[in-house]
Amino acid sequence: MLDPTFTSALARLVPPAALLTAAEDTRPYECDGLTLYREQPGAVLLPDTEAQVVEILRLCHAARVPVVARGAGTSLSGGALPIAQGVVLSLAKFRRILAIDPLARTAIVQPGVRNLAISEAAAAYGLFYAPDPSSQIACSIGGNVAENAGGVHCLKYGLTVHNVRKVRAVLITGEIVEFGGGALDAPGYDLLALITGSEGLLAVITEITVKLLPKPQLAQVALAAFDELEQAGAAVGAVIGAGIIPGGLEMMDREATRAVEQFVHADYPLDAAAVLLVEADGTPVEVAAEMADIIAVLKASGATEVRVSENEAQRLLYWSGRKAAFPAVGRISPDYYCIDGTIPRAALPRVLRQIETWAQEFGLPCANVFHAGDGNLHPLILFDANKPGDKQRTIAFGDRILELCIEVGGTITGEHGVGVEKIAGMCAQFAPAELERFLGVKRAFDAEGLLNPGKAVPTLARCAEFGRMHVHGGQLAHPELPRF
Amino acid sequence: MTFAATTSRTRPQHDALQALTGRLRDDYGDRAVTAQAVREQHSHGEGLADAALPDVVVFPHTNDEVAAIVRLCHAARIPIIAFGVGTSLEGHVAALYGGVCLDFSQMNRVLEVNDADLDCRVQAGVTREQLNTELKGTGLFFPIDPGANATIGGMASTRASGTNAVRYGTMRENVLGLTVVTADGRIVKTGGRARKSSAGYDLTRLLVGSEGTLGIITEVQLRLYGLPEAISAAVCQFPDLKSAVDTVIVAMQLGIPVARIELLDDVQMDACIRYSQLTEFAPKPTLFFEFHGSEAGVREQAETIQSLAADHGGSRFQWATKPEDRSRLWKARHNAYYAALALAPGKQGFATDACVPISRLTDCVLETQADIVQTGLIAPIVGHVGDGNFHLVVLFDPARPEERAKAEALAARVALRAIAMGGTCTGEHGVGMHKLDALVAEHGEAVTLMQAVKRALDPHDILNPGKTVPP
Repeated sequence: MLDPTFTSALARLVPPAALLTAAEDTRPYECDGLTLYREQPGAVLLPDTEAQVVEILRLCHAARVPVVARGAGTSLSGGALPIAQGVVLSLAKFRRILAIDPLARTAIVQPGVRNLAISEAAAAYGLFYAPDPSSQIACSIGGNVAENAGGVHCLKYGLTVHNVRKVRAVLITGEIVEFGGGALDAPGYDLLALITGSEGLLAVITEITVKLLPKPQLAQVALAAFDELEQAGAAVGAVIGAGIIPGGLEMMDREATRAVEQFVHADYPLDAAAVLLVEADGTPVEVAAEMADIIAVLKASGATEVRVSENEAQRLLYWSGRKAAFPAVGRISPDYYCIDGTIPRAALPRVLRQIETWAQEFGLPCANVFHAGDGNLHPLILFDANKPGDKQRTIAFGDRILELCIEVGGTITGEHGVGVEKIAGMCAQFAPAELERFLGVKRAFDAEGLLNPGKAVPTLARCAEFGRMHVHGGQLAHPELPRF
Repeated sequence: MTFAATTSRTRPQHDALQALTGRLRDDYGDRAVTAQAVREQHSHGEGLADAALPDVVVFPHTNDEVAAIVRLCHAARIPIIAFGVGTSLEGHVAALYGGVCLDFSQMNRVLEVNDADLDCRVQAGVTREQLNTELKGTGLFFPIDPGANATIGGMASTRASGTNAVRYGTMRENVLGLTVVTADGRIVKTGGRARKSSAGYDLTRLLVGSEGTLGIITEVQLRLYGLPEAISAAVCQFPDLKSAVDTVIVAMQLGIPVARIELLDDVQMDACIRYSQLTEFAPKPTLFFEFHGSEAGVREQAETIQSLAADHGGSRFQWATKPEDRSRLWKARHNAYYAALALAPGKQGFATDACVPISRLTDCVLETQADIVQTGLIAPIVGHVGDGNFHLVVLFDPARPEERAKAEALAARVALRAIAMGGTCTGEHGVGMHKLDALVAEHGEAVTLMQAVKRALDPHDILNPGKTVPP
């Protein structure tokens, strides 16, 4: 519960409908896409002007009340998990596209604008916004920036950090700041990169200038089937190693294709141990040349079958399974847990084989559908939360996968962020000197630690606790990793 | 064009320096040098002669040695300046408060090349030409080309770009991870070989472009690219500057993946014709193009651009398909600065670095050209126009202070014009000590944050003091 005098001070800053304090009104905000964690906030604010955001933050700063900014609430790592003694600051009403400059190929948008809405608005100029997380119909661009969201097209067109030109934001003290600029490069420290992926810990974003790209004239996708999971993993490295950067390079294993086939009827080869989807885009001439190279590499890598989409409808059909993989898996299993590690591509065969072995050891099926070209794994561990022990084994399995990701030189989160979910993993991935840099950056922006506390970057003391827990449990998986 | 603002920082105490120098000699023998000539050589980059000598130059071999040296400097609060090959243009390496210069030329090994991951790891002192030589035979290359044969560490520190950033991006897009020695002498790894990560703040990009003020970069993980199947270059000449710039804007809008587009105005083209014997061309506004891709793709890109250029009154393309013809052309482009200086022997020059959103490029270039004509100065225009980035080489007679003042006033107007058009006055050369005012003009409140970040990562202001952010 918040102090009533604080709540009434909030009430003076926004219209009555923009302040929610009753339990039944704040309940929809108790969690985001990671429903494992829930907490009801003291209040939810829904401002619709930047001036209101400034006033709210000033007040919270003065009263030392923590603030959790929230976009569409689709985060998969608990980034928008509220704090009982704090407020949720929803940017849902910031949903205007302010300007599109087709010549400069940029759009200025408010943070609550949906990712897909940008591409829809830009389509009139033959342009699109490239990063396309699977939740793009719902997720907001402000949340995308906060999480440095990725998607299928990031292999060729970059992550959010590569596709944002400028961000306007409000600091916890109420000051308005701008990062980046209209031109290629802005002088001084790259605070734009720092704010991107900062999970709401540094500032509250109020306006974003994104880059737009010309829509490719043609896109074509090759669907390749493999008898061995490892072969498919090696084929990913072979495509990239040949110097080809496809528009998308995704993998689904048998567990995944069987789940989605019942859902989308895309005629996937169900006997294949793994399927790769490899997209070429550009002018028809470029696509033809690249597709020929892609097919040659796939065949040389042991593909038993390669189909190429003959028209747009077929291309979308081939992709439909990949795009619908999560809901499809949700249909065949009562629960699933999505992991988000990223590894160097060359380690794919080894890691995939190990996951397969562990799936048998843990007795939990695991469907792999992921951004193979980026080396970004999304193993979906299937379990039943109502079965005793399933959830614990699932979490242990997931931890093993992430530890392996670190061991092969990768990271515990490719695109979903750390949030609350992976805060312990940060202690395994980063050494104390590195975490101290993070904490130093945090202090430079938010000395009192009021913005989204408890997420993304663990304190050293917290890591020490985790470290002890690991050791006491006798489960220190990789003793060579720096821990403290 | 002002010098570093005054700061509370002073030169280190004589005794502390003597003790440190003695210790460095004990530890590194011949690799710790105090000879005047060597210190002078490490006192400046290129561009304006704004030398400031370090007290000692050390040539480290390993990350651990760098960390040990930084720890000594940290304990004694003595400045430390990382040095690649000294090709930066904004006074980045001048030792404004003396101290230790760390010369990375002996940390020049390519540590690993990973074909299937299209990346490599190099020590900071590897130069870009050396890297590409070592990559021969792998089918891979590292495209970023700022003209000078700079070190990878220096390029990362200044967030360098160059002629083909329009296709391959700048160092911001191409550095995957770093090994960095922190201000207190600890070795930290940022980023890594994973293609994407949302774990923790993006320290890699924070360090890229930080000009040695937040940490000392000792190793760089770089993105590599497959060598294109076909490369060809072409030259197209235009009746006036506007037609040339408009051609570029349309090409960019269509998203044609040109590898390089370089603009030279009539004055610069004239200079290059004389300096590099490009006698087959006329002194007219000119675009240099380079196309990368499959045979068919390159042909298609070139045809599209050629018809766009023709729509704007451009000449027929003159092709350079053979490697030696291409390198002659690009060498001429890279020598544009020297060619400009050769236009008026005895004069000195400095480069401006405006960059604007491409929709404002025509306005910015044409207003600037008119401005130059008004001043009566010689200031050729050359630019990576696909990125909206262009440079003037402003020439002045050092013996005539009023001419230098006029030149600096012109440069200041170019900077303000770019900023007013939503751009920047430092597209790629960085801030160093010369552009601190401009940083404040462009970033306002964010400069306070930059200062806070600087204090958080270098509380005693020992890393390249006086650069990048105002004190």
